[in-house]
Amino acid sequence: MNSSSTHFVTSRRIGIYEPLHQISTWGESFKTNGCPNTSASTIAELEAKLDNQSEDTSHGTPGPSEKYDQEATKPVDKVQRRLAQNREAARKSRLRKKAYVQELESSRVKLMQLEQELERARQQGLYLGAGLDAGHLGFSGAVNSGIAAFEMEYGHWVEEQSSQICELRTALHAHISDVELRILVETAMNHYFNLFRMKATAAKADVFYMMSGMWKTSAERFFLWIGGFRPSELLKVLVPQLDPLTDQQILDVCNLRQSCQQAEDALTQGMEKLQQILAEAVAAGQLGEGSYIPQLATALEKLEAVVSFVNQADHLRQETLQQMVRILTIRQAARGLLALGEYFQRLRALSSLWATRPREPA
Amino acid sequence: MQEALPYKTWLPIPSEPRINTPTTPLHNQLLLPGTTNITNMVSENAVIVFGRRGCCMTHVVKRLLLGLGVNPAVCEVNEEDEIGVLDELGMVGAGEGKQGAVQFPAVFIGGRLFGGLDRVMAAHITGELVPILKQAGALWL
Repeated sequence: MNSSSTHFVTSRRIGIYEPLHQISTWGESFKTNGCPNTSASTIAELEAKLDNQSEDTSHGTPGPSEKYDQEATKPVDKVQRRLAQNREAARKSRLRKKAYVQELESSRVKLMQLEQELERARQQGLYLGAGLDAGHLGFSGAVNSGIAAFEMEYGHWVEEQSSQICELRTALHAHISDVELRILVETAMNHYFNLFRMKATAAKADVFYMMSGMWKTSAERFFLWIGGFRPSELLKVLVPQLDPLTDQQILDVCNLRQSCQQAEDALTQGMEKLQQILAEAVAAGQLGEGSYIPQLATALEKLEAVVSFVNQADHLRQETLQQMVRILTIRQAARGLLALGEYFQRLRALSSLWATRPREPA
Repeated sequence: MQEALPYKTWLPIPSEPRINTPTTPLHNQLLLPGTTNITNMVSENAVIVFGRRGCCMTHVVKRLLLGLGVNPAVCEVNEEDEIGVLDELGMVGAGEGKQGAVQFPAVFIGGRLFGGLDRVMAAHITGELVPILKQAGALWL
């Protein structure tokens, strides 16, 4: 017994410290190189190492040496279970670390964005709330507060979006079950639907603000279509990320692309007609821009139509997203949503980059 | 049961509402002269859209259907007649057990109330719309 317990003690020391040592060194390499692929292979290596060490029956918890004699007689599978738990804990720790670093990176981007927006708001001085002479700027208090509330809510929405994207990324690399992945997918979808609801409310406060995409960053606004992204663009971003697709899926995606384009074209044509009508009404001075009170009803009615367009465009975005998710498997949908989220993140980052680019002094 | 609305004497009343086929693209704008026409128009056109005059949403529905190869009948309703027409369309819809107020633009396919722009868009995206149009005889390919 003596010789085996000595053997025990030596292996135990190796057993406890080595995984921790591995984690800290792995953590160092992760910091310098944030590529998820490298981490994935490192995880695999580490798992293999831990598996090999399971040959030893000695990875017990630290305790008085009397315990080892008792534990040596316990069945091997209890030790195996402890081993598995150790692996699991180590893995979870790695994933948490990963998620934390991703969050730090996205917070950095957000910080740059915020600085840019602050600069812009300072220059414009439009929606900084109290302290401004709203009458002088021609806004009513109600309009200001509706939009100000939306901007604040949107800031939170973007933050929440970033953390959801991190979760999706982590989950896809960790190969979690379809059931758990479905929850993430539904959360992400509901998040988009929340945005559409927020936009509908804000459109009533100031529809021209919504149509101009004022809450978005400059690069996002470059691609603006009726107050948001083009549904057909969304499909172009998603589809390359989804290989392999079954033949049926390819057919369905093709049909969706076509329907989406047709609906988009119809809305665009309706929008053009509305612009034409409005332009003619303004040219003829028919919208009560003077003090013709009776004409105000007509003007408001025409502007109501713009609100409908924003709502219909968002409705189309929502329907397109939902149909995509119906066509895809859960894993494909998760990948697609991740790709979409990252696409918008990159656009926002591009805007920040552009805003902070070195310029020649005036 | 139906309230009598005054006829607009300045509008020619067609003796029979025109049947909508892809080969007769003319006379798709029917100005509503009186109430008794509505039920006829609904039943005799494969696809008909009721909308306010100059409404851009009606335009959107029309362009979407045209883009699919459908030639919808479009009925533009004057402001004064709006409420009366909506009531009557509602009764046609209620006859099929569909509750809820009808809104403009209102789309009827195969003599039955289909819905508004929301419904048309959603049905098109999910791929339901084209088979329904074919079944009603509005699409021939």
